[in-house]
Amino acid sequence: MTMRANAALASAVRARPSGALGSLWRRIRANRIAYALILPAVLGMIFVHYLPMVWGLLVSLKEVNMYTVADWMHAPWVGLQNYATGFDPATRVGARFWRSLLNVTFFGAVTITAGYVIGMAVALLLNRPFPGQSLVRGLVLLPYITPDSVAYSVWRFIFQARIGLVNKWLLGLGLVEEPPIWLVGWRSIYAVMVAAIWKGWPFASLVLLAGLQSIPAEIHEAAMIDGASPWQRFWRVTLPLLAPVSRTLILMSILWNYNAFNQFFIMLGRDPGEAADVPSTLILRETFTSFNFGVGSAMSVALMIIMLVFTVLYLRALRSPAPLKEM
Amino acid sequence: MRATSARRLRRLLGQVLFWAAIAAVLAFVLIPYGWMVSGSFKSTLELQSADVTRPGLEPSWIPRQPTLDNYRNVNRTVRIFDYFRNSLIISGGTMVLATSLAFFAGYALSRFAFPGRQPYVVSVLATQMLPGILFLIPYFILFTWMDRHLGVRLRDTYPGLIFTYTSFALPFSIVMLRSFLDTIPTELDEQAQIDGAGRLRTLFSVILPLATPALAAVAIYSFIMGWNEVLFASVLTGRRTKTIAIGLLEYITAQEARWTGMMAACIVTTLPVVVLFTLMQRYIVSGLVAGATKG
Repeated sequence: MTMRANAALASAVRARPSGALGSLWRRIRANRIAYALILPAVLGMIFVHYLPMVWGLLVSLKEVNMYTVADWMHAPWVGLQNYATGFDPATRVGARFWRSLLNVTFFGAVTITAGYVIGMAVALLLNRPFPGQSLVRGLVLLPYITPDSVAYSVWRFIFQARIGLVNKWLLGLGLVEEPPIWLVGWRSIYAVMVAAIWKGWPFASLVLLAGLQSIPAEIHEAAMIDGASPWQRFWRVTLPLLAPVSRTLILMSILWNYNAFNQFFIMLGRDPGEAADVPSTLILRETFTSFNFGVGSAMSVALMIIMLVFTVLYLRALRSPAPLKEM
Repeated sequence: MRATSARRLRRLLGQVLFWAAIAAVLAFVLIPYGWMVSGSFKSTLELQSADVTRPGLEPSWIPRQPTLDNYRNVNRTVRIFDYFRNSLIISGGTMVLATSLAFFAGYALSRFAFPGRQPYVVSVLATQMLPGILFLIPYFILFTWMDRHLGVRLRDTYPGLIFTYTSFALPFSIVMLRSFLDTIPTELDEQAQIDGAGRLRTLFSVILPLATPALAAVAIYSFIMGWNEVLFASVLTGRRTKTIAIGLLEYITAQEARWTGMMAACIVTTLPVVVLFTLMQRYIVSGLVAGATKG
């Protein structure tokens, strides 16, 4: 870092130290290349993330609809009325919004738990060497890298009532008399869950496997010498050591879950029906089918606030020290 | 003697269970692909007459009259080749732009303790977590407004989508590259500067070659992000720029469900991503894991 040192030295010689502000200014000047380097990324993020966020807030406070959208800045202010409409369980939209929050929470609780359990089981399975290990590891990643639109289209095909694989098997095994209709009504959310678990667990497995590999073999050996059974070793050694990785993984999955859109949109269409409606599909319809931009924005702001809570938790989890380093 | 044979039996049993578990995992993963491939070789007629309740007409794993028609006609009802090209341009553009911007920003974060660094890192991590739908509405409104008042068209254009996707790919890419660049010793930078190289020269001739694996991971990540995105593409693309992720859904309309054609198109869509990923697997896996677990 000679250059930075030189610059700091030069400016120290040139200017008399003039308090905290002066030294801050010097540090900023000394790092001007750094600012130049992050500038494009910062500009991009300002225009794509921060300004739109502010606009979204503004839109949520205005009456923006099909007629006022072209000149939205002059649309009338309505205060919190869009929020009142969006959250009032007595209105059609409000009822759907609360239901969609419930749906997405239930959906996440099931898919994240299942994804974590399967991911952990497979990570443990693949952690020991066996012939063909790298091939198997590559194959189990397939669902993760398959494009969403492809994966969920195939699952939509699999869940078709008359020509689908699921009903073929259910009837073949004699588990049902009549082929159930999966993608309409109360069953639809379960069909999407199955597909989402299939798509989601490989990522959990990938992260957990990397975590497993970072645990030194000596720790397991020590536990073995102390006479711990494999079961005890898992609960008392492996799982606690994976806690930081698990925490990050689960919080990240929760955040992604509230964004869930692709699986519902692709398998069930623009309107997944009340039983499988999620915030993203509801907001999309409310905004671009009913043209209630204001109400749609109000609901997205609410969703953002929910996610901010989890984001804060996520950032805390990232900061907390890993127990491995403490040992 | 009895003890050793019992142990041997137990080990054998363990082996059998182990391979049975591997087989079960692989079956769970691969069955949907099998059904997709099988569907892509069936004739439309075969699928239309299939019925799980009618013995003899159940949908079968092996097509009764295998045909290549679905592949030959893949572009006939849906302009899938156009969508494919649009996706290539948009994802490729996103890849180039996001990787270069993230490289600069990641380097700055890794090498300079500039005032404001910590807030910037936090804001990068936080934006990654915001709901996409939150941005979609302001975008749409902004794009409409720019079109009307400034005459700048962004909706249904390549630059509009590339710009959007780049910014979505940026936060994760920056975090990933920064944690990789942190592993390159700063002595290398200093040495280059003693040898008379400027900051930019150091960046391009010393750091860039060393960072190739991480750059590859970020490039693939941003390409795949663009290739997969559905929400924004469903609103911001139109006739000219529709991407394959949305175009694929056109095989199923209210009037007609062309499942066989769709399955053929699914295979065509998946191939580039799988090939790219397989070639780069080494780089991506470590990069993804690092990006997901490090701050």
